[in-house]
Amino acid sequence: MTREGNFGFLETFSLIAIALINKVFYTSPMIIISELGTSAWLGTLISCLTSLSFFGLLYILMKRFQGQDLFQIFEKVTGKLVGRGLTLLFSFYFLYYTAINVREFTAILKAYSLPFTPISLIVLSLLAIAAAMAYVGLEGIARVAYVFAFPIFGGLVLILVLAYPVYDWDYLRPIFGYGLENTIIKGFLRSSAYGEIIILAIIINSIHGLKTFRQVGVNALLLKGVVMSLCCACILAAFQYPSSSEHLSGMFQLSRVIYHSRFLQRIEAIFLFIWVFASAVTVALSFYVSLQAYCRTFLIENHRPLLLSFLLLTSTVAFIPRNLSQILEIHVIAIREYSLLLVYAVPILVLFLALILKRGGKSNAKSP
Amino acid sequence: MQKVHRFFFAFLIAMFFSLSLSGCYDSTEIDEEVYALAVGVDKGVSNIIRVTIQYATYKDGGGGQKSGGGGNGESAGGGKEEESGEVDGTVVATVEAPSLLEAINMLNLSSNRQISLFHTKMLVFSEDYAREGVMRYVEPLARYRQVRDSMRVVVCQGTAEEFIKKGSDYVGANMSKGMELSFYQSQNTGYFPDVFFHDFYASVLSPYGQSTAIYAGVNDFKQLEVPTNRELKLVTDLDMKPGQIPRKGGSKSEFFGTAVFDGDKMVGYLLQNETRFYLIATGKFQWGTFTFKDPQSPNYAFLLEITNSRKPEVEFRFEEGVPVIDLKIGLEAELVSSQSRINYEDLDRIAELETEVEKYFCDGIKRTIDKTQQEWNSDIFFFGKKAAAQFRTIQEMESYNWLQHYHQAEVNVDVDVKIRRSGFLFKAMPIQSTSAGQKGRE
Repeated sequence: MTREGNFGFLETFSLIAIALINKVFYTSPMIIISELGTSAWLGTLISCLTSLSFFGLLYILMKRFQGQDLFQIFEKVTGKLVGRGLTLLFSFYFLYYTAINVREFTAILKAYSLPFTPISLIVLSLLAIAAAMAYVGLEGIARVAYVFAFPIFGGLVLILVLAYPVYDWDYLRPIFGYGLENTIIKGFLRSSAYGEIIILAIIINSIHGLKTFRQVGVNALLLKGVVMSLCCACILAAFQYPSSSEHLSGMFQLSRVIYHSRFLQRIEAIFLFIWVFASAVTVALSFYVSLQAYCRTFLIENHRPLLLSFLLLTSTVAFIPRNLSQILEIHVIAIREYSLLLVYAVPILVLFLALILKRGGKSNAKSP
Repeated sequence: MQKVHRFFFAFLIAMFFSLSLSGCYDSTEIDEEVYALAVGVDKGVSNIIRVTIQYATYKDGGGGQKSGGGGNGESAGGGKEEESGEVDGTVVATVEAPSLLEAINMLNLSSNRQISLFHTKMLVFSEDYAREGVMRYVEPLARYRQVRDSMRVVVCQGTAEEFIKKGSDYVGANMSKGMELSFYQSQNTGYFPDVFFHDFYASVLSPYGQSTAIYAGVNDFKQLEVPTNRELKLVTDLDMKPGQIPRKGGSKSEFFGTAVFDGDKMVGYLLQNETRFYLIATGKFQWGTFTFKDPQSPNYAFLLEITNSRKPEVEFRFEEGVPVIDLKIGLEAELVSSQSRINYEDLDRIAELETEVEKYFCDGIKRTIDKTQQEWNSDIFFFGKKAAAQFRTIQEMESYNWLQHYHQAEVNVDVDVKIRRSGFLFKAMPIQSTSAGQKGRE
């Protein structure tokens, strides 16, 4: 990707960490708990370790082609036609990812807070925010992410801490949930939910190169693993596994049970704030990446004239699911369980191809 | 010129987005809604369910104007208020319908504002209904966005409609505050558990244990016996159902005891002392005063204020296939009265007294656990949480089915009581008088 502004470690970390952690506010905890039961927290850690392994391979690829972003590497290794084809595939994936994220956000918002507001209004509002942020560019999105990171992580910690009286850690037993084998398999598949880490390889030229890439990648993945695991554990400890498997948004439900006294209760408004902030940043980032990938495929230098058409395209995809069941049982599963076939497998195949074809390496490396 | 265009463009965008600040489809003014404080569920006559809702009338600030005189639903306003269902600054409206949520929808017709459940404090089931199973009424509430998880779950003797009507708050002007504070009496007395809706719902689905609810009833104030010249007798182990407390004055509705469930069906209840033992055994007991017969002077009593000194420790194991549970409880006590003026705080007496009190609690807790095992096979103590640690997977645990095996468990109870203080007095002095055998003389 062409250089789109320049920002440091904290901005990059905030951007990627928010995009990764955003899912904890959605239906992810419910799905993980319904699949893994009391070992949901363990399965999440397995997903985190799997993602770290994939990230290690991605790091080797990026190190082999220092100074180049993922799309440039695709072209370098596989040739222009296939490379651009892969870039276009990523563009479509991130468009789909954006649309389904928006739709999932809308479904939960309607269930919990805005039952009478039309879906179209919520979808278009969120996409309009994404388009406005994409208009400003990647640096703008990163700096907004940095500002929002404080209320988002602060609010998350506040909810987890304030709900402490309802936790009973005995509810995390039996320790292996629906079975250790099941936990490992699902944990491996759920590493797809860490797929946003690929964005780091796409924006590498805006983040001070490989060192920041490695630092942000490892730290953001570890943070996501710990936060997701902790949130699953807290939800289980508060509601037990049968009830937690039912709650559309376990974190929202957790914020609803906070009751310390007549004066300290009903603080779910905090949840809504941080949730909307996190969703806006995530949707804007994926929308921007999709748009840029498309521009790169067809050598379009300025992405701004395409904003409106991409906004309409994304909203059209967002309306494909007919109901919540379709969103959860088809689209969310496709993204969070099977997207590793694209976001991890393609770069790894490209790495193997580069090794076989002996492309990249020291000869390609720029001066450190 | 360029700058002017930019400014106007930015201004127009800001104006456009400011429209959303006024709220959109879901905006509701506070005074467009009335907030249900209590929801009662009874058996219907012409349809399956009869739902009663109590909401504040807002006639006096936030809490609603109390009707003069009467109280307990018998307001001085007479017929008009009785017809409109006005009770102490609230309206109590009842409707029959095919389902709970539709009933609430229909009750909107009783008010010129929309009824909202956002601030509902309690959900009351009549005992008759609770014994048939409550899930079909709890489930829609668990799904419904308006319902608060901090709402309490109550099972009452008689009808929920009557219970709600008779519940009055005589202190302060705010019925909502009064209702919420009434649940805090669980912490101050231990006579009933404080059961939140989310806890109740999760427990109904739980493989670890069974659910409970607050047991309640209406006191007709006819329990106080007429004074006679009979000799006074000290009764310390009172066992009463709700509505049987010998008292008059105050609210007629009272929370007193614990409704015990098996799944979603009520199977029995714990009386007030059993409830205290249950709360102590589960670590939910805050504090309460206990009256004991003085072992050395049986016509007199000594009083202890008891608190849980630490969380109860539960150890679980299987011995030849039989579940064995060791329950260790630590209690802290303060001697708040010794009517006989015998100095139990003496170093050589305090251990003896502690042993006596330990036996009382140990027997009481054991008896209560036995009752839940033998009469209902309902693990309201949630020993199943500890049993779960014996299994590696949920499949293993569910196929064993702890809830079915609870009655087979051998439960060993060990209570450790430490009498720490004796109030403001230490070693009370004897009463001086001309009669023989003054209190405190040894």
